Amino acid sequence: MNTEACDGCPAHAQLAEMGVDIANCDHVVALAGNPNTGKSSVFNALTGLRQHVGNWTGKTVTRAEGAFGYGGKRYKLVDLPGTYSLLSASQDEEISRNFLLFGQPDCTVVVVDATALERNLNLVLQVLEITDRAVVCVNLMDEAKRKGIDVDVRSLSRDLGVPAVPTVARTKEGLAELVASVAGVASGETKTSPSRVAPPAEVREAIDGLVPLIRGMAPGLPSARWVALRLLDGDHKVREALLSGELAGLADRQRQPAPVDASKIKAIAGAQ
Amino acid sequence: MSALGLGMAAALLAALVAAPKFGLVARWKRHRAYRAKSRSEDALKHILAWQHRSKLATLESLAGTTGLRPAAVLRVVAGLQTAGWVESGAGGIALTASGERRALQVVRAHRLWERHLSDDANMPMGKLHQAAERAEHSLSREEVARLDAHLGHPQHDPHGDPIPRPDGTISALEAVSLNEWPVGRPALIAHLEDEPQAVFRRILLANLRPMQVVNVAESEPNHLVIETDGGRHRIERSVAANIHVREVRPQDALPSERTRLADLAQGASGEVAGLSPDCQGLSRRRLLDLGLTPGTQVEVALDNTFGDPRAFRVRGTTVALRRQQAEQVLIRPIRSPDGAEAAP
Amino acid sequence: MTSASVTPQAVLDRSDELRRGLDGSFRDYMVASLYERAGELAGRSVREHGSGKWDFDQRIDRILTSRWLGLPVMLLLLGAVFWVTILGANIPSQMLANAFFAVEAAAASWFESVGAPWWLTGLVWHGIFRGLAWVVSVMLPPMAIFFPVFTILEDLGYLPRVAFNLDWLFRKAGAHGKQALTMAMGFGCNAAGVTSTRIIDSPRERLLAILTNNFVPCNGRFPTLIMLAVIFVAAAFPPAVAALAAAASVVAVVLLGVCFTLGVSWALSRSLLSGEASAFTLEMPPYRRPSVLRILYTSLIDRTIFVLGRAMLTAAPAGALIWILANTQAGGVTLAERSIALLEPLGTAIGLDGVILLAYVIAIPANEIVVPTMLMCYLGGAMMMDITTYEQIREVLVGQHGWTLLTAVNLMLFSLLHNPCATTILTIWKETRSARWTALGALMPLGLAFLVCLATAQAVRLLPL
Repeated sequence: MNTEACDGCPAHAQLAEMGVDIANCDHVVALAGNPNTGKSSVFNALTGLRQHVGNWTGKTVTRAEGAFGYGGKRYKLVDLPGTYSLLSASQDEEISRNFLLFGQPDCTVVVVDATALERNLNLVLQVLEITDRAVVCVNLMDEAKRKGIDVDVRSLSRDLGVPAVPTVARTKEGLAELVASVAGVASGETKTSPSRVAPPAEVREAIDGLVPLIRGMAPGLPSARWVALRLLDGDHKVREALLSGELAGLADRQRQPAPVDASKIKAIAGAQ
Repeated sequence: MSALGLGMAAALLAALVAAPKFGLVARWKRHRAYRAKSRSEDALKHILAWQHRSKLATLESLAGTTGLRPAAVLRVVAGLQTAGWVESGAGGIALTASGERRALQVVRAHRLWERHLSDDANMPMGKLHQAAERAEHSLSREEVARLDAHLGHPQHDPHGDPIPRPDGTISALEAVSLNEWPVGRPALIAHLEDEPQAVFRRILLANLRPMQVVNVAESEPNHLVIETDGGRHRIERSVAANIHVREVRPQDALPSERTRLADLAQGASGEVAGLSPDCQGLSRRRLLDLGLTPGTQVEVALDNTFGDPRAFRVRGTTVALRRQQAEQVLIRPIRSPDGAEAAP
Repeated sequence: MTSASVTPQAVLDRSDELRRGLDGSFRDYMVASLYERAGELAGRSVREHGSGKWDFDQRIDRILTSRWLGLPVMLLLLGAVFWVTILGANIPSQMLANAFFAVEAAAASWFESVGAPWWLTGLVWHGIFRGLAWVVSVMLPPMAIFFPVFTILEDLGYLPRVAFNLDWLFRKAGAHGKQALTMAMGFGCNAAGVTSTRIIDSPRERLLAILTNNFVPCNGRFPTLIMLAVIFVAAAFPPAVAALAAAASVVAVVLLGVCFTLGVSWALSRSLLSGEASAFTLEMPPYRRPSVLRILYTSLIDRTIFVLGRAMLTAAPAGALIWILANTQAGGVTLAERSIALLEPLGTAIGLDGVILLAYVIAIPANEIVVPTMLMCYLGGAMMMDITTYEQIREVLVGQHGWTLLTAVNLMLFSLLHNPCATTILTIWKETRSARWTALGALMPLGLAFLVCLATAQAVRLLPL
C-alpha cells in the first residue's frame, strides 16, 4: 500500500484513497458549483472531454475526472456534483463537502451563474468557509448580457478576497484567464484572503471556545473554525470523522510533507 | 451419492441453526435479550410515569400497562431490584436515584427518536409514538448522542414534551390544561398528550400543533370553541384536558398580518417572514438552503394542471414546492395579483 | 509527532455543552447570514437593466406548465419524438438489413467455396454474424434518431417541467416528483435510470424509483415496440397517417408504463415501503439554447455507440447459441424445437408462444436482442435476404406463425413489463446493496408481466370477439 503523494501536495494521499488517480499530476483542482451553471461546459472545455450532463439538479451522479496542462504543470480536475449548498444532508452535498474537507484540493473552482449571482454566491461563501484556495468562475456572461445584467467581476473578486474570472465556457471565452488564476492559487503565488461571514457575539464565543480544543486534538488542522461550526451544528459526518481520528489524520498529513520523489507514485484507484 | 446428499443437508441444517450471526440459535438469543431489555425499560418508564403523578407503581399496575402475566412481572421487577434501579416497599415500587436516571435515558431516546421521525422522515404525529416505542430500546448511548447533536439538541419532542438531558435531568413542563385557560386570552400550545390514541386523533383532526397560537372563544360546560389560524373548532372538555397551553411570550411572537406561501394567489408577491415553527430538521434546512430566509422576496411564478406543486421565483431562480412545503413558509404579502400583472 | 493532548470525546462534549448555550435559531441564523452576505455582495457587483429574458422564460413556462395545456403539450412532444423516430428509422433499417444479408450470403458461399466445414460457416455467418446484423439493423437507426432528439429536449431544460407537471401524481402514489426525471433517463437505458435515482434524497422514495424504473421501456425495448406498432397498428391505417398511428400507439404503451409505475409505487408505499411523501423541492432551470453539435456528438458517440456495443456484445454469443440450438439434434428433434415445445404451453397460456419466451430467456443479458432472436428462431434456415421489410416480417409472423392481434398486444405488454436486463439488475444491486431488493426488482416485474398477459389472454379468449 504505497500512498506517497506527489511533489508539493502533502494531502494527496487522501485523494488517492478517495479514488482519484493522482499519478503524473502536480496539482489537484476541484470543480464545484450550483447545478445548471455550465459547470460541465467548463469541465469539458478545460479537459477536452465531452461529458454530457443534462439540465437538472444533481445530474452528475458519478464523479468525473480529467486533466489539463498549464505552464509546464499537470493539473487534475475533479468534477464534484452540482449542489446549491454544502449544509443539507443530501448525498451529493456530502460528496462535495467531504472532498473539499478531506481531499484538500490545491484549488477549488466554484462555477457561478452570472444571471443568478446572489443565489450562487451562497455556495461560494460556504466553500470559502472550508478552504482559502478558491477561484470563482463567473460563467454564462453572455446570457447575463442578453438578460441585461451587468456583473462587475473585479469588485466581486475584491469583496470575496479570491480571484474571480468572467467566462463563457461554451465559446471558451475567459478560460485562459481562469486557468492562469487557478495556477496562481494552486502554486500559492496568489495570496487569497477570503471574506467570511462574521457571526454574532454568542456564536463567535462558542466557536472561540471550541477551536482551541480542536487545535489541541489535531494541531495544524486546516479549517478548524469550520469544523467547530459544523460540530456546533451537530453535523454527524464531521462528528464521526472526529471520533474515528480521520480529522486528526488530516492534520498530521498537513504537518508532514510527503517525500518528493514523484517517480514512486502509485495511486490506489477505485477505493471510493 | 445419497449419503453425500444427506451429509450436505445435515451440514446445511446445522449451519442454519448454529451459524454465529444469522443462525436460528443466535437469532433466538438476540430476540430474548432484546425482549428482556425492552420489558425492564418499559417497566422503568411506567414507574417513572406514576412517580410524576405522585403515585407508586404496583405489580398490578405494571401488569396492566405491560400486558404481562404476574409471574413475568415479578421476574422483571426482581431483575430491576438486582440492578439497583428500584426498591419495593409497602406502598409499591419506587425508583432509586440511578433507576430514575436510567428511566429518563429511555424517555430521552424515545422523544429524540420521535423528533427525528417528525423532522427528518416527515412522519405524521399520529404514528410517531408507536414507532418510537420500538426504537427506544435498541438505540445505543452514542447513537442517542449523535441523534441529539444532529437534531440540534432539541428541547422538546414533537408533542411538546421536554426531552431529558444526557445527565438524566429534565425540565418541568410549564403549562396548564386548555380547560383552565381564560376565554379571550391568546395561548400557545405547549404540549399535546399522545395517549390515549383516540383522544389524540381528535386533537389531530382539529389540526392542532405545538407552538401554535389558540384562542378560547367560548367555554361551555361540556365543550370549548377555539380559534386558530386554521379556523374554529369545537373541542370536548375531555379532549381539551390533553392539550396543554402557556402564555405567549415575546420571543414566540410570530409576525402578525401574515399568510402562507401556499395561499398566495398566482402572480402575487410577498416577503418571507419566517418558517413555521413546526417545520424542523431536514425540511427546514432545505427550505432555508433554497434562500427562503426572512426578508426574501418571493413571487408565485407557475401553476400546473393539478394546482400542486407550484413554482416560486426566489432570488433570481424558479423553485417548485409542494403545497405542504409552501404552507410552512410564512409570508407578508406585498402587492395584489392585479398589481403583479401590470408590472413590467 | 501529534501532541494529542485533547481526546475527540472531550471536543464533542465541549461542543454539545456550548451548543446548548446557543439560541435555538442558531441553524436558521447560519443559513440566513450566508444569504444576507450573498445578497449584499451581489447588490454591490450586479446591475440590472430590464428583465426581458426572464419574462420570455416565464411566457414559455406559462404554456408548458399551464393548467390546460401542460399535459397535452407533454404528450404531443413525446409523440413527436416517437413519430420522428419511426418515420426516420424505417428506410435506413431496411437498407442496413439488405446490405448485411448480402454480405452474409456472399461470405457464406465464399466459406463453402474454400471448403470450410459446414458447421463453421453456419456458426460464424448464420449464427454470430446474423445476430449482429439483426441487432445493428433493428437498433441503430431508431437509436441514432431518438437519442439526439430526446437530448435536445433534455438540454432545453424541458424535463424538470415534466417533473413539475407530474409531481402531484407521484405524491399521490407516495413517491417523489424527481422520479419522473429518473424515468426520463430510463428511456435511454434503465441501468442509467437506476443510477440517476441518486438525485432523490429520501431512501424510501429512491427505492420506489429504483424498483419501478423498469416500467419505462428503454432503448433496447423500443425497437420491439416500434416494430409491433408498425406491423400491427400502422398496417391498419392508410399510409398517410400510418406513422402517426404507430407513434400514438407507442405513446400509449409508454403511458401504460407510467400508470404501472404509479400503481406499483402506490402499492409499495402501502406495503413493503410504507411511509409518508417527503419534502419536494425542485429547481426549474432557465431555458438554454442547446448546442446541437455537442448533442450530436454525445448522443451518437457516448450513448448510441455505447448501447449498441453492449447489444452487439451479447448478440454475438446469442446468435451462436441460437444457431447451435437450431442445428444440434437430440433424438431426431433440434434442441431449439425441444426448448420451444417446452415453453409453448406457458407461452400460449399468456397469449404469446414458445419462441417469444425462448427469445426472452436468451435475451436476459440485453433486451435489445429480443426481436433478432425471435426472428432467427422463426426463420430457422430460411434466407434472410427475403425478409427485410416490415411487410415481409408481418407475413412471416402472421402468415406462417399464427400471430394475432392478441399476440402483438401481449408482446407489447410483456416487453413493457418483464424483468430488467442483467445490467440493470446488477445496477440495482450496486445501488441498494441488498439481495432482497434486487430480487424484488427483478422478479416483481416478471410476475406482473405474466399476470397481466395471462389476464389479457384469458379475457380475450372468453369474450366473443
